[in-house]
Amino acid sequence: MIKVNTEDFPWHPGMTVRALLDEKMFTFRHIIVRVNGEFVPEEDYEKQLIQDGDDVLVLHLMAGG
Amino acid sequence: MERYLRNHDALSEADQATLAIDRVLVVGCGGLGGMVIECLARIGVGHLRVVDGDLFEATNLNRQILCSTMNLNRPKTLAAKQRVMAVNPLVEVDAVQADLTAENAMELLADCDVVMDCLDNIPSRLVLQDAAKNAGLPLVHGAVAGWCGQVCVVQPGEDLLRILYGDAREEQGEEVSAGTLSFTAVAVGALQAAEVVKLLLGRQGLSSELLVLDLMNASSTRLQLA
Repeated sequence: MIKVNTEDFPWHPGMTVRALLDEKMFTFRHIIVRVNGEFVPEEDYEKQLIQDGDDVLVLHLMAGG
Repeated sequence: MERYLRNHDALSEADQATLAIDRVLVVGCGGLGGMVIECLARIGVGHLRVVDGDLFEATNLNRQILCSTMNLNRPKTLAAKQRVMAVNPLVEVDAVQADLTAENAMELLADCDVVMDCLDNIPSRLVLQDAAKNAGLPLVHGAVAGWCGQVCVVQPGEDLLRILYGDAREEQGEEVSAGTLSFTAVAVGALQAAEVVKLLLGRQGLSSELLVLDLMNASSTRLQLA
């Protein structure tokens, strides 16, 4: 089990950041991902593995006023 | 005072007196800033410094409460001052027709108690957070994109906006494609106003958290950032 934005979410071996975003259906084009507080660049989404117990923050990047 | 009668008893007379001597800096007088200014003037915050270098344009009409067909091509800060004078002449407004820069930031923050981030781009928001940090002032951040919005309170020493934006290479976010809607700006601006009033009155507000609104799904989430 992992935490995604404070909620429990099932983890599976081999889960990448990209797979998580797809499973959670995050559709915004501008997204900030942090795993255990560490920023994950978009180019690493396919290769960065999420570990069981990780705390993942997925934020929609918004700056409009 | 009759004009504040409906503020009571949510606010005590002592609270009202406190707000009357407080000074709030509002940077950005667009969708968020307009709503913040409206709320703070009505509730009775005594001194507002409002900052924006822009003139109103037709694309502002969909959401910016200070913008009307009567004041297109006129300064946003002028409209803010006129609006406050019309709503509550007890409020003193210092209108600064200028863009926030690293060079003028500290001067703009001088003598203020709280900083309101109502800007519309990431680099300027980070400049403002740095200035607030240097001045030892709390900052209330708001941002919108489409049906979604976010609010957080940054205490001096915190770096919450860099958690939100610090690694982003973009100057803007999802609002470029999702747009900015009237009710989202009004909702987020109102939440910012509530947070700053709580700060000014020493009440518990958001603490190292991001409040995320999703008006399409009528939901809100509080995310711990630090």
